[in-house]
Order: sequence, then C-alpha cells, then structure tokens
Amino acid sequence: MSMEDYDFLFKIVLIGNAGVGKTCLVRRFTQGLFPPGQGATIGVDFMIKTVDINGEKVKLQIWDTAGQERFRSITQSYYRSANALILTYDITCEESFRCLPEWLREIEQYASNKVITVLVGNKIDLAEKREVSQQRAEEFSEAQNMYYLETSAKESDNVEKLFLDLACRLISEARQNTLVNNVASPLPGEGKSISYLTCCNLN
Amino acid sequence: MADNLPSEFDVVVIGTGLPESIIAAACSRSGQRVLHVDSRNYYGGNWASFSFSGLSSWIKENQQKTDISEESEDWRKLILETEEAICLNKKDKTIQNVEDVCYASQDLAEDVKEAGALPNLPDFEASETSEAAQESEKECLPVESQSLGTASCEISSERIIGNDPGSTTERKDAEMTSERENLCDVTSDQSPLETGKTETISTTEAAALEPKKITYTQIVKEGRRFNIDLVSKLLYSRGLLIDLLMKSNVSRYAEFKNVTRILTFQEERVEQVPCSRADVFNSKQLTMVEKRMLMKFLTFCLDYEQHPDAYQDYKEYKFSEYLKTQKLTAKLQHFILHSIAMVSAADSNTIEGLKATKNFLQCLGRYGNTPFLFPLYGQGEIPQCFCRMCAVFGGIYCLRHSVQCLVVDKESGRCKAIIDHFGQRINANYFVVEDSYLSEETCTDVCYRQISRAVLITDQSVLKTDSDQQISILIVPPMELGQPAVRIIELCSSTMTCMKNTYLVHFTSSSTKTAKEDLEPVVQKLFTLNAETERESKNGGLEKPRVLWAVYFNMRDSSGIDRNSYDHLPSNVYVCSGPDSALGNDYAVKQAETLFQEMFPNEEFCPSPPNPEDIIYDGDGTPPEDPRFSNSSNMKTEPLSEESSDENSYKISEEHHKE
Repeated sequence: MSMEDYDFLFKIVLIGNAGVGKTCLVRRFTQGLFPPGQGATIGVDFMIKTVDINGEKVKLQIWDTAGQERFRSITQSYYRSANALILTYDITCEESFRCLPEWLREIEQYASNKVITVLVGNKIDLAEKREVSQQRAEEFSEAQNMYYLETSAKESDNVEKLFLDLACRLISEARQNTLVNNVASPLPGEGKSISYLTCCNLN
Repeated sequence: MADNLPSEFDVVVIGTGLPESIIAAACSRSGQRVLHVDSRNYYGGNWASFSFSGLSSWIKENQQKTDISEESEDWRKLILETEEAICLNKKDKTIQNVEDVCYASQDLAEDVKEAGALPNLPDFEASETSEAAQESEKECLPVESQSLGTASCEISSERIIGNDPGSTTERKDAEMTSERENLCDVTSDQSPLETGKTETISTTEAAALEPKKITYTQIVKEGRRFNIDLVSKLLYSRGLLIDLLMKSNVSRYAEFKNVTRILTFQEERVEQVPCSRADVFNSKQLTMVEKRMLMKFLTFCLDYEQHPDAYQDYKEYKFSEYLKTQKLTAKLQHFILHSIAMVSAADSNTIEGLKATKNFLQCLGRYGNTPFLFPLYGQGEIPQCFCRMCAVFGGIYCLRHSVQCLVVDKESGRCKAIIDHFGQRINANYFVVEDSYLSEETCTDVCYRQISRAVLITDQSVLKTDSDQQISILIVPPMELGQPAVRIIELCSSTMTCMKNTYLVHFTSSSTKTAKEDLEPVVQKLFTLNAETERESKNGGLEKPRVLWAVYFNMRDSSGIDRNSYDHLPSNVYVCSGPDSALGNDYAVKQAETLFQEMFPNEEFCPSPPNPEDIIYDGDGTPPEDPRFSNSSNMKTEPLSEESSDENSYKISEEHHKE
C-alpha cells in the first residue's frame, strides 16, 4: 500500500461558542448528515475527508473542540500545528458574535502566526431570527483580515464552498511555502505524520 | 457562554496536573462520566507552562501573600445533618520564595506590550477576557513597593497592580508602567541599569557588540514565543510516559524533539559526553585508549546481569567507588556517574548505578542520539493532551472552577459530592484530588520535601557549536558535600519555548535552602549575570553566556507521601501528587495507573482508542501492523463512503456506552 495516496494533508480546527453548529458543519461536510445526533461524536477525535482540487488529492483532517469550549476550557495544544481555523458564530445569537474577540485572542496566543482563519456565520436557514447583520460581520472580518462566509449546515448552504475554498487557499499557501514559518512543525502538504514520534524509525 | 453543569458524575477530578489528567483520560476512556475541574485559569497546575506575560502574572500572584477575603459560607446550608464537609484549600501554598531578576537592558520605550496585538479589536464587553475576569474576581490590593537596596537591578518583588478590570491590553500597559516606575524606585548604588546609561548602550553600542543583543523590551514583545515550564523534565524514550502516550494514542496531540546533547561540567568546563557508539568514536576529548575503555564498560552494562562475578564483590559499595575499581580514567568515571547513570555519588550503590546506566543505554537510539525527548511547546502540553483525550470521550472541562468542600456521608464514611464555588452540589462515586487542593487541616501530619527551581533566559548556549539549535542536559555534581546535584536543561528556540536568539535554561535540584541560595552559585559558574558589561575575553578564555532574565522559586514536592498521613480522607477520595524532582515522568504515570486500578480493577488502563481514520470507513479488514502506530503509518486515502462511515461512528459510541 502506498504511504501517500494524497498530495496534501491539512489540519483544520473549528472554534467558536457552544451551540453555534461547529459539529454540524463538520458532519455535513464529511458525511452529508444533519443533524449529527447526540453523543455521536464521542470518541471521535477528528474527521477526515479527501477532496479533489484541480486534480490534486487533498486530505482534510478536521478537528472539533470535544466540548471543551462549553466552559471556556479549550487546551492550548488544540491550536498547535493547525493549518487553518474556522471561527464560527451563530447569526441568530448576538452573544456568539460578541465572543469573537475573545476567540481571536486565543488564536493569537496559541496558534501558528501564519494560520489561515475563516469567519463563518452559521444558521442562515433561520433568517427570520437573525441578530447579527451580514454587514456587521463583514466589517468585523475585514478589520481582522479574515475571510467571511455565511453558511447553513442544515440546508447545506455554502458548506462545501467553505471547505473547498479553504483547501484551495491552503494549497496555494503551501506552494508559496509561507504557511508555517517554523522549522519544527511539519509543513503542510508534505504529508508528514502529525506526531513526530510515529514518523521515527523504531529499532 | 453560561451553561449548566450537570450534577451527576461518576468521577470528579480536581486539578489538571499530569497524574490527574491521565486518570481523567483513563476514566473517560473506560466509559465513566468525568468532571474535570481546576481552580486556576490555565491547565496543568504546577505542571503548567506560561508565555512570558503569563509567567509574570504567575510570579506576581505567588509573591502576594495576602489571603483571599472571606467568602460566604452559604454553601454550608447544602450539607445535610447526616453529612460533614471537608473543606478544600482556598489558596495554593506550594510555591515559595519567588524572585525574578532582570539583567537585560531595560530601555524605557513607551507602550511596551506583547507584539501581535490584534488591530482594531473591538471590545464588546469589558470583562471579556478570561484573564481579566479572573483577576478582577480577586482582591488585588495595591502593595507598597519595597526598595531593594542591596539588589542591583531586581524587579521589585511586589508590584502595584491596578484594580482595572479593563481589556487585557490596557491592563498590560498599566502593569508595564507600574513596573517601570518601580524600577526607578529601586535604589541601587552599583546598578548597571541606570536608566540614562541603558538607553545609550542599547542604541549605540548594541550594533557594535555581539550580534543581536536582546533587551527586556524585546522579551516582553516576543512574550508569547515563550513557553516556560514550571517543572523541567524530559521523556525517557523507553519510559512509562512514552509507552502510555503511544498506547493511548495521546501522542497524536503532541510533537517531540530529541534532546541532542548530554553535557558534563568538569574542571570548570562544559563538555559534551559521548554516549552513542558513533559519539564515542568521533569524540575528540577522549584518547584511543579511553574510547576502548568506555565502550567496553558500556557494553558490559547493557547486560550486566549476565556477568554477576564482575560486580558481585562490590554490591555494597557506592557506584562511584565501584567505578574506581574498573579500568576507567577519572574523566570517564565522571562521565558515567554524572552524565550517563545520573546517580548521586554520595548515595547510590553499585546495583543502582548499573541499572541506571543500563536504562540510559537502552533508551539510546530509539529516537536519536540521546535517550530523551522533549515536547514542543513545553512539558505543560502533556497534561493537556490527556485532557483532550478525556474530553473526546465525553469528559467535561471547567477551568476557573473552585471546589469549596467534599461532602462526606457520616454513616458510610464515603464521599458523596462536592460543592463548587457557585454553591452547586455535584454528586459522584469517586473523587480524585491533587495534593495542593487539600487543606492544612487535612495535611497536618504530612511532611513535604521541596524542589529548588530556576529558569533563565540567556543569549547563548553553554556550549557553542556549529548549530545553535541544540537541546542539552547537564548535571552539575554537588560543589560541596551534602549538597544536591543540579540538573540543567537548556532549550533552544526550535523547541517553541523561547524567542529566537535566546535560550531557556531550567535548573532543578532538591532543596536545602531557598531556590536562589541553592542554585545561584551554579548559575554564576556557567553564566555572566551582568548583561551590560562587555564580554571578558581575557586570556582568550571562554566566554560565558549572559543571563537576560531569571526567576527562582521553591516548589513543594508532594510525591512519595503515604496515603494514611492525610487526615480523615474517605476511602473513595484519591490523592495525586504534584511534580516530583526526578528527570523522568515515571512517578506520575505509575501513580495514575495505580489509582485508576484501585478505582476500576477490571478496566483496562488507557487502551488504544479507535483510529479516527478507521471510524470513518472500513478498511480491508486487516489490522494495522502495529496498532500503536496505526494513526499515521497507514494512511488510507480511499474516498469516504457515507454509509460505512455512519455505521462505524455509531459502533464507537455503542462501544463506549456498554460497560
């Protein structure tokens, strides 16, 4: 069996308040499912989907918070070595939008400084309950140099686009080799294992 | 983000140090409902690592001896007549004698703060940041700054802290200002840091001197490049922690680097110890004869049990005495005793020494040229990795969550519940508590040892080579009889624990006095403390690296304490120790496994979780060659099929729920 049946491997990490639909986005994208069902994510560390981008096989490893955001107790190590972050809020929940600066501080503190961050406003299927206008979110994301996208995991609106656009950006960043500037982390696209230990030759 | 915490769990774990985190992961993995709390706003307790600003806050917090104001005792109403309460500690008392010293030039540029502050970050709420929220909860009474007449340039140990609950950035600025003011207050007769002078030096001479002179301002600006561990340890490549990380697949959450050099300090010189076969043969410090002697002895140690006659007569001898009887030069004896066996010359006997030497040799070559690994971003990552594992299996995490008391049923004598700082009563069957959370009343009969620690930020390696990216361990034998050996671990910037062009140097020893008294003599032997004077290059002698900043502290060592010395603890309350002074992590892993087996004798300890790649779809049915490495060595890349993935993920959750 060939070790590398893909051209690129990227680690994508989801963050944002509890209940904004992070798990739903991942499930919708990787499995086409909605709703994901309670407790179904127990024991699942990350989800994998391999996509084809212009003939290149791109393996996306998508990590969820494992519920640690509920009481604002995400481990720092969760952010390490992520190639991209998807910062999610709920357009029908002002509070989830107001918490974004707090999340950005965590990103700044713990994530690689070249990480790509995408801001996602989820639940556009509930347009009548919208509390955060698109314009406000756009202004905010512009000020923070983030991409912005509105999605509905339920209706599958923009979910594919979110991950595929991200994959495209990751590829082009990897090509320019600017994504991760430290020698210690595996460079995206090299297909190196996540764990240093496991890529060592054991005697 | 307010959310209700459930009131029923199987296991409540208090403290997020390494043993507690391993236990939490093991319990959650075996299907227990786990609540894991820590009263602090960071993971790891005394196993934590901090950015520079994070460490500065930690220092301040531990220098303030003011107790927290009295809290309401409303929670007592929740205790029934048939119950009694065991109160837990309100304030951590495991850290003492904290002293930080800045030697780097402190240019008084305005607005010094950590770089990378977000542009135009709107503050939607004043109390948003967890840090700010946390700090404003506490009483931060302004303390008068003391003038430290004797110290040349110490940052005054008590700083004025504003009571401003504003944004982090604002607060940091305020702190910086007060810090600077305090510095100016410090009266010093021989200070090399007189403000005027400092500026000229840093602007005009910096370029002419050594390349890249690091100032205090730069350290603060690059503060988040630092991950400064409170405890300095390494992973033996065949130690229990590596085994556990691989078995449980927790290794996927962390990355490691090899320790690249074993150093020795002999005749006032730092030298590299050759320990692998290749090292020995390439060594320039050893003569041909010495190389043969060393190889012969090390080869013997690898299977010393097979040759009992070679050491039988010396069993009762000290290892250092035994080495003298072997065909080894004094230099080789020093290498073996201090750098390979790493045992105490005064205490360890022949068998202990041989065993330690064998262990070292067996760990050699598994991952690299030395027996040790270091986790990227610091040792503080490791407990968090186990916490992630616990959360993945459904464990609930709450930092900044204090526990008022344990509730004990008078009749059965068992602990039934905890009451948290919100007055919520949370029931469980098992309680795991880290030692520092237990009150003085519970611990009256407990006798603790102490660890002396120092952490230095320096500008050069203690042994310069072609590569500036070395990770080194150095044991300095006691300078006087009866003193402890000092273990030094020097980390370079590619370990992600310090900024470019600096080194982070950790000192650890068991305590005889305060950390500064124990360790400063060794610091002075290896480093120049006066960062402003030009390097002495008289006699073409060796240049010592400069210390830019240092902190000293004593940490309580609560390892090796008999369970029975804790007063009146119910049998279903299990106590974990804080960090011990040993180099490896075996003690914590062993303790976690032992306590887990006491709680759940029939459960496997941290079995391999299903591989996420296997969960999503079925492979061809053949198990991976070695399940421990299945995560990355078998990259399967077939397109995903929805049906099979669905089926499999449910299989996992079913597996999880069945007992």
